[in-house]
Amino acid sequence: MENSISKYCIIKPHQVIVDGETAYTDPDKNEFGAFLKSVYKHYEIKYPKYFKMDNLCKLAFVASEIVLQSNEHLKNLDPTKVGVILQNAHSSLDTDQKYYETIKDKSNYFPSPAVFVYTLPNVMIGEICIRNKFQGENTCFIAKQFDPEFVCEYVNELMDKNKIDACITGWVDYIDGDYCAMLFLVEKNKENKKDNISFKPEIINRIIK
Amino acid sequence: METIYTIADNIISSLGFTSNENFHKLKQSESGIEISNDPKITQTPMPCSQIDSERLNSEFSKIGDPDQFTRLEKLMILSITDCIKQSGIDPSQNDTLFVFSSVKGNIDLIENENHAFEKDRINLWAISETVCNFFNAKNNPIFVSNACISGATALITAAQYLKQKKYTNAVVCGGDIISEFTPSGFQSFKAVSSEPCKPFDTNRTGITLGEAAGTIILTNDKMLVKEDNPVIFRGGANTNDANHISGPSRTGDGLYYAIRNALKESNKKDTEIDYISGHGTATPYNDEMESKAIAWAELKHVPVNSLKGYWGHTLGAAGIIESIAGIHSIKENCLIKTQGYNEHGVTESINVITEFKETKINNFLKTASGFGGSNAALYFSELNAD
Repeated sequence: MENSISKYCIIKPHQVIVDGETAYTDPDKNEFGAFLKSVYKHYEIKYPKYFKMDNLCKLAFVASEIVLQSNEHLKNLDPTKVGVILQNAHSSLDTDQKYYETIKDKSNYFPSPAVFVYTLPNVMIGEICIRNKFQGENTCFIAKQFDPEFVCEYVNELMDKNKIDACITGWVDYIDGDYCAMLFLVEKNKENKKDNISFKPEIINRIIK
Repeated sequence: METIYTIADNIISSLGFTSNENFHKLKQSESGIEISNDPKITQTPMPCSQIDSERLNSEFSKIGDPDQFTRLEKLMILSITDCIKQSGIDPSQNDTLFVFSSVKGNIDLIENENHAFEKDRINLWAISETVCNFFNAKNNPIFVSNACISGATALITAAQYLKQKKYTNAVVCGGDIISEFTPSGFQSFKAVSSEPCKPFDTNRTGITLGEAAGTIILTNDKMLVKEDNPVIFRGGANTNDANHISGPSRTGDGLYYAIRNALKESNKKDTEIDYISGHGTATPYNDEMESKAIAWAELKHVPVNSLKGYWGHTLGAAGIIESIAGIHSIKENCLIKTQGYNEHGVTESINVITEFKETKINNFLKTASGFGGSNAALYFSELNAD
């Protein structure tokens, strides 16, 4: 049985694309923080913890919120059967650099636990899981480039072995103001639905081109 | 269902450069933890478990130029080299997959602006690229960075690919080093113990950090198995607490689900488990949560230990080297005592191992939990066991 993409969201500089349509653009071409905050407001997201997150988590979180809007039925699934599988290139390096600045100078040494906790790439998965109470398979993979073939194969195997019934998956990377999120909500094929988009590498490659 | 055999393993840590050297010291209850006053690592005296740099460079110089590789890459390459020698596999064949795990990778490069490596070398994918080039590996490697469960996740991922028969062999290697970065962060959390850590003990106050690399070679090819009754990987699962990014679930639900799912995949229907290799970081919350998950899984009777009192918390290596210790517990039919544990300090009356003991061990469960709310469980047994 094939798995299909119920919804997808791409966030790249000044632009949000949802299911192939440009859903939001930032006319002011703001830098990341202001841009993402405008996206947050545009989609009427309300989650105070967002403001504590580092940039990588903010990016992953906002993309996941957009993908999950109008997919309320996920809340009715067994939480242990909803997975979050993400891939990125720069791990948490952007925050690693910021954290290192706080310990570099011994005469001005102020390591912060609130920053340190974000020096792990899988924390972005944790944030999505906490928000939505998803408790299934969750892994952060690191690769030089987004590898749709790998991600599809890995997630489809989890779905086909019935380890999970739905999955938020894709790519979320942030480094020094460069960023890109490509998130897909993958579910088992719904019956009698002719326009299912197959969760396959060739389809993903076409979507992200 | 495809059988996944373990055919080679290696541990490099403060206790030695082979699995046998390490396991022998565990049997003797010898810990590798010492107090460090090195200002490059810690601003206050801190117990930790470190690898002898001189021995590392001297061992490495037999196979490569130590100046061309970072500390972690040298550890990983040495560890994999030992495993390849044991197993006889050819890592340059396209039936072999490499799976890596690390939490902080080459983080020491961030602290040294004058290092001789390219800027990109700080990235985790650059480690797998470098190590795979060393072994002329053909396939794209997989790299897992799942906080403290990374090593366990790497084993689960590798096994998934071997079960699909996509590859014949998987070289699963995990490691992390100690530099200034990680200790300072855990110290800022007030999560580092001033004494060597005391897992499950009533006086536990936090973790001890350690550096290590470990490798396990898995295969689905029976012809590569040399033993009559090898240890096999039966099943594994990753779950999330969905509770807090830096604190574990209070109920143990996430870890319980991981144990349940791992045993389900293993087709293990009873609770006759001979040994649990716990995570046991010795933070107040982790060990308490673990005891609840073990009780919830109806495994309170099963002997459990934490090996953090020997190696410290070795982050991306932990799931792999602690699984290797479990494999050796099966092969040598013994249980290692929980170093640092004196007085029971968790709510549930789990069966913490207090003395080294020789006894028949057919199987074991390995558990792990970490930041981001992640949990993993793995189940191994002898081929001829349940």
